Amino acid sequence: MRPIISILIFLCAMTDQSVRASHTTATLVLGVESATPGATVLAGVYLKMESGWHTYWKNAGSAGQATEIKWTLPEGITAGEIQWPLPKKLPPVDVTTYGYEDEVMLLVPLTLDKTLAPGSLNISAKVSWLECKDTCIPASAEIQGTLNIGTETKASATAKQLAVWQTNIPVSKDGFSAQAFWEKPTNGDTRILDFKWSGISEDADFFPAANDNFEVQGGTEIFSTPTGEVCLRKLVKKFSGDWPREISGVFVAADGAHEAKIVIGNLPPTATAGSVSPQKAQPLWRMLIYAFIGGLILNIMPCVLPVIALKILGFVNESRSNPRHVRVLGLVYALGVLVSFLALAAVVIGVKAAGHKAGWGMQFGNPVFLVCLVTLVTLVAMNLFGIFEVTLGGRALDSAGELSSKHGIPGAFFNGVLATALATPCTAPFLSIALGFAFAQNAAVILLVFAAVAAGLASPYVLLSWNPAWLKFLPKPGAWMEKFKMAMAFPMLLTVVWLFNLAAENYGDRVLWLGVFLVMLAFAMWIFGEFVQRGRKHQFFARLTVLALLIAAYAFALESELHWREPLAPRKTNNLAHDIDGIAWLPWSPEALIQARATGRPVLVDFTADWCLTCQVNKRTSIETASVRDKIKSLNVVTLLADYTHFPDSITTELNRFNRAGVPLVLIYPPQNKTPIVLPEVLTPNIVLSALDRAAN
Amino acid sequence: MKKLFALLAATVLTTAAFAVEIGKPAPDFTGTDITGKTIHLSDFKGKIVILESYNAQCPFCQHHYGTGAMQALQTDLAAKGIVWLVVDSVNKKNFGYLAPEAAQKLWTEQKFAATAWIDDNAGTIGHLYGMKTTPHMFVIAADGTLAYDGAMDNNPKPFGDPRTAKNYVSAAVDELLAGKTVTVSATKPYGCSVHYAN
Repeated sequence: MRPIISILIFLCAMTDQSVRASHTTATLVLGVESATPGATVLAGVYLKMESGWHTYWKNAGSAGQATEIKWTLPEGITAGEIQWPLPKKLPPVDVTTYGYEDEVMLLVPLTLDKTLAPGSLNISAKVSWLECKDTCIPASAEIQGTLNIGTETKASATAKQLAVWQTNIPVSKDGFSAQAFWEKPTNGDTRILDFKWSGISEDADFFPAANDNFEVQGGTEIFSTPTGEVCLRKLVKKFSGDWPREISGVFVAADGAHEAKIVIGNLPPTATAGSVSPQKAQPLWRMLIYAFIGGLILNIMPCVLPVIALKILGFVNESRSNPRHVRVLGLVYALGVLVSFLALAAVVIGVKAAGHKAGWGMQFGNPVFLVCLVTLVTLVAMNLFGIFEVTLGGRALDSAGELSSKHGIPGAFFNGVLATALATPCTAPFLSIALGFAFAQNAAVILLVFAAVAAGLASPYVLLSWNPAWLKFLPKPGAWMEKFKMAMAFPMLLTVVWLFNLAAENYGDRVLWLGVFLVMLAFAMWIFGEFVQRGRKHQFFARLTVLALLIAAYAFALESELHWREPLAPRKTNNLAHDIDGIAWLPWSPEALIQARATGRPVLVDFTADWCLTCQVNKRTSIETASVRDKIKSLNVVTLLADYTHFPDSITTELNRFNRAGVPLVLIYPPQNKTPIVLPEVLTPNIVLSALDRAAN
Repeated sequence: MKKLFALLAATVLTTAAFAVEIGKPAPDFTGTDITGKTIHLSDFKGKIVILESYNAQCPFCQHHYGTGAMQALQTDLAAKGIVWLVVDSVNKKNFGYLAPEAAQKLWTEQKFAATAWIDDNAGTIGHLYGMKTTPHMFVIAADGTLAYDGAMDNNPKPFGDPRTAKNYVSAAVDELLAGKTVTVSATKPYGCSVHYAN
């Protein structure tokens, strides 16, 4: 059958300038009716495709084949390279091709020799192309036209048509400058290449030139660096040889398409951008307000709630004292919060100065910190139970009535420190924006923003301490306080369980010994309280026992059994191990994201961490729920999970791209858009469902 | 145990979503051939297996079979004990889909000399291996690892003589048989895009 069609095409070609193949017609269009010798004349090969059919660009992409033109020209006329109009990126995304739908004009400059004699010359060419719709058909056609060589160059009626197509050819000029950088080294056969250039826009793209040794894949991602620069990210798959040092192709953006060949650097654009003042950056004052509001909201986030119990108690105690003392305590509490936040800021600055990535809550990725904190919180719980007293004057106190003086200045300060330590696994609304901003800035700004968060966190208590009259709704101090205090030990124990669970991740089965350590510690504290603080006899012997117990607990349980300073190697896939009927999470990586997006399906990315309480709450209430699972299944969403528990650099970098300093961050990528929908920090199922719907449509 | 199982499930899903890797174990699959026989990749343990992504309507495939070059290579490799599985991932609604009877007819007419033709109209195997084009070739070494992933040869056109082109698949097989490592283990596949379901 096909040979017959080919013969028919050939026969038609003999008789007509316009030739009909199966679904595409080819026509020769000349820019001039007549031209002088020595001139350069523009010729065009016009391909008109039937609806739904397409032909290909010079780089067909993952499949297809570029159109070819073989000229048969009289002596004295030479054809130049084909000038290809900017193609369209054609689906499916996982086999992206570059081509033309409906129509295209391939432009070719014809150079006329000076020695050409006047007269009429026949120009012909064989055009071969692959046309595809549901199936592909190779086709070819002979096209021809007549060119008059004369004394003047006279434009033809179709010259305008050519001129219009000419505006659609990507510009290649010296002034254009672009940069390309490998995001990181790789051992595999895929690698991420970042591009940026002046004129890059949110809808920018890069159409690569064809290459046998590697393929720049179709999926494109656009992201903004923390300094407000727009970057374009592509995945390159290598087939053979070394990674390319140069890359050529067409840089497509709102201001036009530029064709260029550029050298690939080794530094990511974010690193070279450094701390250059951002164009789109938020003003500092607004970020400070966000930080303050964020700190304020932190008070009611789940992480800080147990500490609130302590603080309420403190206020009841204080309400009896003289107002001056209460104010001092309020301020000291605020100072405790402030000092802890500044200490955190100093750590962040230090980590950054040492050339590492810093993130909010990163200390929770540190097992040694977890062991210290769980020990501290256990002690607080034991103290609330009344097993032992914190006596800073060296004097045991045994009545509730004296609690207030006992919860004196050091107590208030300690409360502030504890509130901060427990607040960090949470990010509150506003807070993540402010912190995301701060982490990308210099030391002074980091300190300022952290101070503002501290001010926000401490402000309700400072205000209350200034106006103790507002506390009138609380009952009068009395025996109930002792009971309340004990009751509040239970949320503390809950915190212990939570921290213990986090530590378990780092020590595996050995975590048993952390439990043993905590029990030994509690026992030592009981002996201390019962026989040293409240006992009347054998105090020295009791003291010795406590000391021996503590040493034994540390040396035996922590050092020799738990090996608390040698946690297990981080397990990468931890958060992926969910119920079988849960969401089928795949591990996130920049490559996995691009590949997932290349499937043309919506993609949901959950940046989470075991220690991030907000993340865990979001997961329970709004992600791993029946309605969201069903929606994910019905919309065929790819779900990627970025586990920040152990604080990997690649995720810090990605969070910074979204101007975040920590988790939670949930992103939903619509198949068509290059930028994702960013979900708020605190989720409801409806927020997730409606975002998924928006992404799918 | 449950955790381990979930981990395994996640690993399988990972490989399911994204393409295979050279040097890594080639994932097992189950398919039905055009005679209705069930075929597992694991059936051919210890043998070199070639996977060919195929579409009867794709001019690139038509060219390889039309010239007889593909059948000659299949015959040659079969004599060396090598398994050749044709994987047709064209979806049922596509113009290029061949029902088993039509496929058997074409098999006889064109004298296919492959081991089997798997009807993968759901695209399971195609997606598992990341088959992008027809023809997209894979060579699995006798130890079950992937040895080659890419084009049939260095002539990415539906014309020209396939016999004179540099054939990457037969080169890879020859090297494997000689106990050498495969020199060219990956190339850019060419042809028509695979017409998967959806």
